[in-house]
Amino acid sequence: MNPAAPLLEMSNITVAYGAHRVLDGISLGVGAGEIYALLGGNGAGKSTTLSALLGFIQPTAGDVRVGGIDPARDPDAARRQIAYLPESVALYEHLSARENTAYLLALADQAQQDEAIAEAFGATGLQADAWDKRLAGFSKGMRQKVAIAVALLRHVPVLLLDEPTSGLDPRATADFNRLVEQVRDRGAAVLMVTHDLLSAADIADRIGFLEHGRIVDEVTASGPDRFDVRALHHKFGAAPADAIAA
Amino acid sequence: MSAVRLIARDELRLMRRNRVAVIAFALLVLLTLIAAMTSWTHQQGVADLRARFQSEADRAFDAQPDRHPHRVVHYGHFIFRPLGPLAAFDPGVDAFTGNSMFLEGHRQNTANFGDVRQSSQLIRFGQLTPAFVLQILAPLLLIFLGYGALARERERGTLRQLLAQGVSGRQLFAGKAVALGLVAILIGLPAMIGFALIAGQPGALAGPMAVIALGYAAWLLLWTLVVVLVSASVARSRDALLALLAIWAVAVILLPRIAPDIAGQAHPLTTRLETDIAIQRDLRQLGDSHNADDPFFAAFKQKILDQYGVARVEDLPVNYKGLLAIEGEKLTSRLFDRYAANSFATQSRQSTVMNGFGLLSPTIALRHLSMAAAGTDLAGHRRFLDQAEAYRFDIVQRLNRLQAEAVSYADDTAKDPGADRRKRVADSHWDRIPDFAFRPASATALVGAALPGLAIVIGWLFAAIAAAWFVSGRLQRNSK
Repeated sequence: MNPAAPLLEMSNITVAYGAHRVLDGISLGVGAGEIYALLGGNGAGKSTTLSALLGFIQPTAGDVRVGGIDPARDPDAARRQIAYLPESVALYEHLSARENTAYLLALADQAQQDEAIAEAFGATGLQADAWDKRLAGFSKGMRQKVAIAVALLRHVPVLLLDEPTSGLDPRATADFNRLVEQVRDRGAAVLMVTHDLLSAADIADRIGFLEHGRIVDEVTASGPDRFDVRALHHKFGAAPADAIAA
Repeated sequence: MSAVRLIARDELRLMRRNRVAVIAFALLVLLTLIAAMTSWTHQQGVADLRARFQSEADRAFDAQPDRHPHRVVHYGHFIFRPLGPLAAFDPGVDAFTGNSMFLEGHRQNTANFGDVRQSSQLIRFGQLTPAFVLQILAPLLLIFLGYGALARERERGTLRQLLAQGVSGRQLFAGKAVALGLVAILIGLPAMIGFALIAGQPGALAGPMAVIALGYAAWLLLWTLVVVLVSASVARSRDALLALLAIWAVAVILLPRIAPDIAGQAHPLTTRLETDIAIQRDLRQLGDSHNADDPFFAAFKQKILDQYGVARVEDLPVNYKGLLAIEGEKLTSRLFDRYAANSFATQSRQSTVMNGFGLLSPTIALRHLSMAAAGTDLAGHRRFLDQAEAYRFDIVQRLNRLQAEAVSYADDTAKDPGADRRKRVADSHWDRIPDFAFRPASATALVGAALPGLAIVIGWLFAAIAAAWFVSGRLQRNSK
């Protein structure tokens, strides 16, 4: 792998079902230590982008690389480079937070000691009394903390986030964003698909705007304010107006 | 630890933490143990009972007083089919076909006293034997424990999460199958304990036991794969459960019940009444030994007179009535044999149709292999009937020869007051007639008979493995 090459790379990706093009020639690259937010409304193609990166779907045309690996050819190897947080964090209800973490890490061939898991839970802010409880009573925020603990412990170069802040209150969102920044600061490439402009503007280094399967614009953070959220909102209408006004 | 082992361990952990699953599993294991024990006890009881009845029948036959041999022919003799040790595992058709026969001259009787005729109708549903539990109930438990194996993961979104950890679809499938396969082994274990009990008994044959063990292992493994396959192929657990229950109902209940009816329709057996009427008609056509003008018996008489060089039957050195009885028994036996052979041929054609259904329902193939290896199938029953008929013919002809040699023609036809006494022969003769000894099939014959069924079950297993390979490969992408 070329060290200068982006860890995540999509070149002219098209995903079509018959005449309908879900992704229509999108290209993007996310480098190490970078957070890329892909914003778009429902049906814009955000989740399809993630599915192509994870090798769950095979693009009709174009080239995808995850850490230099084509997920369409070798999905297992590509997935071993990725930590993935789906929109609804899917974990096992019959297992405790600790058991879930240990199980998923072992499956990824990265079994960890209890101390390391406890340390990761501490980093995510998951309360200690919840560590050994079964997940049945966990809130979405708590589940996400477990999932991000798995991501932290996997030490993988790529983090994919699918609508990670949907359903989280502002405080939980802010906590989550700090965790993502931690992952980024360790050198991971983070791709977050979301329709939450505020959250994207808070942590992303670049924001791409997806409409009808195409990236119609891309902005890069600059200056102390990083992004002009109001301008972005007026341009793309991608965040709740009342949230921006606040 | 490999991904397959991890997934299997987690699946077993999930089952352990599911109280309903644990209770269902414990109940089935208990049921299998009870089935093994009760079936074993029942088999021992039946074997003892039949041995005692046989001994009493032999004693009663031998204890007859001085008698005319032909009266002994009509006194008859009871024989009982002894059960092999493997009948404790799978009694097969024994409960339906009857297990005792009354042997007498001039006719072939059918077997009597099947358990079905002496028990409640519930026995027709199926006896509680290890074979019944493994054939019918074990797949049902595997369905209830495993229907959600992969459908649940897909439904809850954890399938994508698992695959995202770099686990391949085949590892995932294999892990689930290994977990359910271990449960299947545990389900089969009590039956194997019963098997171990049988293994120590005299007459237990290693070859047929190995075939049975192999057949049931393949059967449980087949169901394990079918359950995981269906679970991997549908979107929701509920759909998997419904599909599996439908498969179970058709393959395990419906087809094995319908197949004999179709086989019976395709190759109908004549009814008992029709057969009896036809035999009586044919018997009349054979001739009448009491009619001096009957062409067949007139020719027979002349042949005998020529053979001994005498002009009258009264001058024969042997009792002509005894010779007549020998010839008559030959003729009637030949006639009965012909009807029996026709009936067996029809049954054999029915069996061929049934075995064809084994290609559609491995349950039928498994039953075939199980009963054939245990020696409790129709072929086993026929073995008993054939040996019984050979024995009947032998003792009847011995008695007819005794009449020909030990009772004079003059005495036999005399009607004076003392004639009855002179016609009798000493009771010591009855003791010399050998007792019936059933010769069970050899291990080679039993294994040979079970092989077609085993081949079909294993064929199904290979088909399931191929399907599993294909479906698990698609899991890699088909996570939703």
